[in-house]
Amino acid sequence: MTGRPRVAHILVLAGAVTVMVMAMSSTGVAAQDDSQPIAPSSVVSGDVSEIDTLETGEQLYSTSCVSCHAVNGTGTVDGPDITDVGELGADFMLRTGRMPLAQPSPQAPVKPPAYTDDEITALVAHVGSFGDGPGIPDVEIDNADLSNGGALFRENCQACHNASGAGGALSYGRHAPELHHVAPTQVVEAMRFGPGEMPVFGADIFSADQADDIAKYVEYLKEPESPGGYGLGFLGPTTEGFVAWLVGIGLAVWAIRWITRETRAARAPTPIEATAPGGSAQVRPAATTEEGDSNP
Amino acid sequence: MTEKKRRPLLIRLALWVDDRTGAAKTGTSTLHKIFPNHWSFLLGEVALYSFIVLLATGVFLTFFFEASAGQVVYDGSYAPLHGQTVSQAYDSALNITFDVKAGLLMRQVHHWAALVFIAAIVIHMLRIFFTGAFRRPREMNWVIGLSLFLMSLGNGFFGYSLLDDQLSGTGIRIAYSVMISIPLVGPWIASFLFGGNFPSDEMIPRMFAIHILIIPAVILALLTVHLGMLVRHKHTHFAGGGARDDNVVGERLWPTYAFKAGGLLFIVTAFLALLGGIFQINPVWIYGPFQPENVSSASQPDWYVGWLEGSLRLMPNWEIRIGDYQVPNPFWGGVLIPGIAFGLLFAWPWIEARITGDRLEHHVLDRPRDMAWRTAIGIGALLFFTVMTIAGSDDVLAVKLDTSVNATLWTLRVLLIVAPLAGGWVTYRVCRELQKRDGPQVDPFLDDVPPPADPGDPPEAAPDNQEITA
Amino acid sequence: MTTGPENKQERLPALFFVVAIVAGLALFGVYISGGQNQAEGILLFICLGSIGAGLVLWAKRFLPPGPEVEDRGRLASTDEERDAFAADFAVGSQPIERRGFLGKLLAGAGAALGAALIIPIRSLGPSPRASFNETPWAKGVRAVDEQGNPIIRGTQPQTNGVITVFPEGQLDDEFAQTLLIRLPSDGDFTPAPGREDWTTDNLVAYSKVCTHAGCPVGLYEEFSGLLLCPCHQSTFDVNDHARPVFGPAAVPLPQLPLGWNDDNELVAEGDFSDPPGPGFWNQDALWKDAHQ
Repeated sequence: MTGRPRVAHILVLAGAVTVMVMAMSSTGVAAQDDSQPIAPSSVVSGDVSEIDTLETGEQLYSTSCVSCHAVNGTGTVDGPDITDVGELGADFMLRTGRMPLAQPSPQAPVKPPAYTDDEITALVAHVGSFGDGPGIPDVEIDNADLSNGGALFRENCQACHNASGAGGALSYGRHAPELHHVAPTQVVEAMRFGPGEMPVFGADIFSADQADDIAKYVEYLKEPESPGGYGLGFLGPTTEGFVAWLVGIGLAVWAIRWITRETRAARAPTPIEATAPGGSAQVRPAATTEEGDSNP
Repeated sequence: MTEKKRRPLLIRLALWVDDRTGAAKTGTSTLHKIFPNHWSFLLGEVALYSFIVLLATGVFLTFFFEASAGQVVYDGSYAPLHGQTVSQAYDSALNITFDVKAGLLMRQVHHWAALVFIAAIVIHMLRIFFTGAFRRPREMNWVIGLSLFLMSLGNGFFGYSLLDDQLSGTGIRIAYSVMISIPLVGPWIASFLFGGNFPSDEMIPRMFAIHILIIPAVILALLTVHLGMLVRHKHTHFAGGGARDDNVVGERLWPTYAFKAGGLLFIVTAFLALLGGIFQINPVWIYGPFQPENVSSASQPDWYVGWLEGSLRLMPNWEIRIGDYQVPNPFWGGVLIPGIAFGLLFAWPWIEARITGDRLEHHVLDRPRDMAWRTAIGIGALLFFTVMTIAGSDDVLAVKLDTSVNATLWTLRVLLIVAPLAGGWVTYRVCRELQKRDGPQVDPFLDDVPPPADPGDPPEAAPDNQEITA
Repeated sequence: MTTGPENKQERLPALFFVVAIVAGLALFGVYISGGQNQAEGILLFICLGSIGAGLVLWAKRFLPPGPEVEDRGRLASTDEERDAFAADFAVGSQPIERRGFLGKLLAGAGAALGAALIIPIRSLGPSPRASFNETPWAKGVRAVDEQGNPIIRGTQPQTNGVITVFPEGQLDDEFAQTLLIRLPSDGDFTPAPGREDWTTDNLVAYSKVCTHAGCPVGLYEEFSGLLLCPCHQSTFDVNDHARPVFGPAAVPLPQLPLGWNDDNELVAEGDFSDPPGPGFWNQDALWKDAHQ
């Protein structure tokens, strides 16, 4: 081994690291688990069973929601009208951590929920009382039809969320989020609510059974069958191309450098004296020239 | 009477063949053919061996694949597609994946081999370009090599489109639209190829015939000529160790080179088997069967078509309309720009010969640094294609980097122009610097040097000039 | 068998070959016990790679290394050889040239045969004229969803919802696929001139086939009122006759006029405003022909 730069080795190493990093972060839009939940400083978290749920909800609401959504959810310049989102809408927003949102933004990012389960129940009940929005859907996926769910998913959802639920790019900085960390109930809530840019898929488009089917398929996509091996993030030919170059060509180049190595060292290049244009160099014959058999 | 000892069976067999062919005569010179030893000379072999793997795995797959658009209800092992109506092609692909022993390995090795095959062709082509191995007498081989590249590209595209899954079907739709964008003849070509409008029932059987028969036959024919010319011209070599334009310095074909080349065959196959075993590729069961009204976000073609995809995305929405007639937008990015780019590539040996005035035979290779302007142009072209390839995945990039896909596209549009120019300029400077370390050099592009004597002239006694001129 | 240091050199390649044997047998075992992709791939890698490594080590350690030199020789034929070739060729070509009349007739026969042989190509597909520009949409044709159900007034899609519809009975007509969107009543939808009555109950219908390269424009960004095509990011403004606002598409998505039949089911009131799908050189001319 000489001290020359081991280009192939560096390439393979860099490639392996890149593929690993991409694959591990290949859950589509980053779930942004590292961002801090925006928890209000004065959350009341006492024994809920002894406190009226609506009252706690009202207290929580007046602490962190009212500044953008106004009392009774009528909305302000900073936050939309939420009188008719119902328990469904509030449950979706709170359980996925999208709300509370520190400041208005084109897309509320997914974060760990800022509230405990009981607090969310209280808030949801309170927001639900604003108008006659829908209740939390009753989602049951154990007996749902996985195959039908897949067909409906591919017809209606994959255009934004990608065939494997890895998420996708929308316009001007928005993203359809990845679906690998969302609970089935929130999946159906999103369909019925149509958060952000997402269209509304109401009961006339999907019945409750069909919605359950889709939720079951989304659940399946969290761990799809991968008999072929490492899934590479299920992002398709982009990552496969990386692997073909970095691993395939990287290994091949390493191999051919190994195969030719000894004789390379024996044939250290002699300095070139250029005499003629066109780049063809005359070479001082090296001392090691042997008389080989010449062709008859 | 003394007993006559019979020679071993193999020897007797060889003598029998030689009696009828004279094989030993040519065999001798073949056995001590000299092959120069440099790692970059084995890149073409990596491509060749990948192709052999493609043929072998491909034959296996043809026994199980059904090239038909006829509809069936899936009831194989993959539960999430049970009861779905799919084409027989897709159904057989799932069958190979889930229900044929070693089927998935064959399928994955076949697909990985295709990706690596074309990658090896590209890097081999780059080696040929940057060392000037396309110069006389190898211009024909350059043209044949580029043709092989285009054939392989097309065959790969048809190959992964055979499975009739959502992702590849989307790609066929785009290819069809690019085809019809060609003025005057586009719709005819598309209608003939597809048997009508898109999608058609003839698509899959015709692609199958093209993929397993027509293009492989052309590739094998071109490959034979490609290798035959290599044998006739003998391999090029770098300067040093006594290498000149009138000799070949290296190792004997038999046994040294044969063992090394044979070993490389096994090693390349081994790496492809490893890829096929541990990295999943083209999970068509997740993509679902092709439905023309469906599409997934992040739809990309295989990497070697990525530049074409990027070209379509990067192109601003220009079109020409004259009355009721038009040249639609996909024509620019899908036909015109690739046509010009590949036209220049094909013509390069003659373009360079015109610029340098050099029409001599060359068997000693350039070091890339010694032809700074050519290397700079090559790097510029490479960057151009690389930016296009990246642009083909700009939506994936935008999601990964959490940026706006619109801003990403605009950035890539700028880079498409800037990167080749800047990269080419930097490359040129670097090459010149490196040249300076080696002492005074002559750059035929910049320095005022008269072109060499035409090779038609009778050879001159010029002891310092080692080039073969006649 | 050689002795001494060469024997030691044999050890590594020998080891590789032994590993290859073991891996090969193990691969066989994996296969007959049902097969498993990762095991098959890894064992095949070990087996093949060991054989390859062994061969290369054999070459590097035991076979003559060179470098050796071979003369290239002269590539082109000498002038004498070329003259001899020309003379040999002339023996045949001169008699051919003397029979100019026969030669021309032969050429004519060849041309006629060539022309005739092109005919089978014509069988490959229909003339583009017939197939390229027809859609089943016409006045009174019912719209159905992807399951084949008609769209009843007052049902799907809800506000801010989108579904894909087809002409009745033509669920596999890729060319006719149409997006049906219910816009919010307080949005800023502006009908194109002449299309004021093409929408009904806040429902608007556009062709789903992208006018750039034909992908279905599946992404409806309901809040921004944009239709985004995932293939090349062409973006269309739903509130302004699907005019392209970003990306390579140069042509708006054609719009379908909507109405209701007597059973309160959604019907088209005519064909699309423009030819759907990607363009080709005489697309408009053909469309006008078909829609006199």
